[in-house]
Amino acid sequence: RGPGSARPQPLEPSLLRFLVCPLSKRPLRYEEATNELINEELGIAYPIIDGIPNMIPEAARTTQKKPPAEGLKQP
Amino acid sequence: RALLVRRGGALRALCGSVRGLAAGQETHFGFQTVTEAERREKIYQVFESVAKKYDIMNDSMTLGIHRVWKDILMHKMNPSPGTLLLDVAGGTGDIAFRFINYVRSVRERQLQRKLKHHQNLSWQEISESYQEDKFKSLGDSQVVVCDINKEMLKVGKQKAQHLGYSEGLSWVLGNAEELPFDDDKFDVYTIAFGIRNVTRIDLALQEAYRVLKPGGRFLCLEFSHVSNPLLSRLYDLYSFQVIPVLGEVIAGDWKSYQYLVESIRRFPPQEELKAMIEDAGFLKVDYQNLNLGIVAIHSGFKL
Repeated sequence: RGPGSARPQPLEPSLLRFLVCPLSKRPLRYEEATNELINEELGIAYPIIDGIPNMIPEAARTTQKKPPAEGLKQP
Repeated sequence: RALLVRRGGALRALCGSVRGLAAGQETHFGFQTVTEAERREKIYQVFESVAKKYDIMNDSMTLGIHRVWKDILMHKMNPSPGTLLLDVAGGTGDIAFRFINYVRSVRERQLQRKLKHHQNLSWQEISESYQEDKFKSLGDSQVVVCDINKEMLKVGKQKAQHLGYSEGLSWVLGNAEELPFDDDKFDVYTIAFGIRNVTRIDLALQEAYRVLKPGGRFLCLEFSHVSNPLLSRLYDLYSFQVIPVLGEVIAGDWKSYQYLVESIRRFPPQEELKAMIEDAGFLKVDYQNLNLGIVAIHSGFKL
């Protein structure tokens, strides 16, 4: 089952109170259209799969053309 | 033999720290020496492999006693309704479900006591008060389960659905060393049988400190060290002779359970872990041995 499965489960709304970007610890914006949590500053988007936000930096996609500057840790 | 391994390991780690910049810091995976990156990967694979049989294996290996340890942790926590709990490495939900049960029963007793005082009210008034409390059967308590392993979370979420847990429970895929939570948010942070698998324990402890509210409590339930020589020998025998075999028979996975047993031996003993917790800034750090040190609960406060 991939992230593009038929009806993406929405995020538990109360989580938005606590969740921040694990790298910058700054707030995130919930994008309903793509079901992602966006860090505008760093230009990365964390996917929400089956209602579970994936907050591992390595799993995030970049929202801009160029990749983020800092080196990411290996999983 | 274990002492030699430990000393050898420490020496290797020292050399590793000089050489280790390209391949990543050297560390251990059970009794093997690996880079940090390799360790993370191997541990991820262990839990990916055992996820579906995790609960059964826990029951088999500990003869069900792990349930008692977790119950003791919950009683020690003694959460009141309205508590915000972050359960890290909480994968299959054991601690989270116990938390929900606990605050629910505390809440029920609160409501019962409240109703007793309503002897002189009309039926209308009583039913109204019942209704507003009905939507707060947990009294605003919440638990966030955070785990780095997708498979473990998947099992946890399925269990929750199966057992009927939904209110006040949420799941996040995240790294204990780099938590995706804001500062000063949680009343309690727990990590049960998880910290042993974290590669940089110091970072995980710092993150635990960061996300806790002032006054918040850190609780760690983990395998520890047995000082009693007779029990220690029996425990070693059981660990190295029985557990990997159980792993093979029940989960078809000898290696993962070999890792488990080795990782317990590699993990810092009670006093050393206490010092690490204090280094992260926690105060009034203490520990309680269960079963003569087979397991220990460490506790600290952010004050």
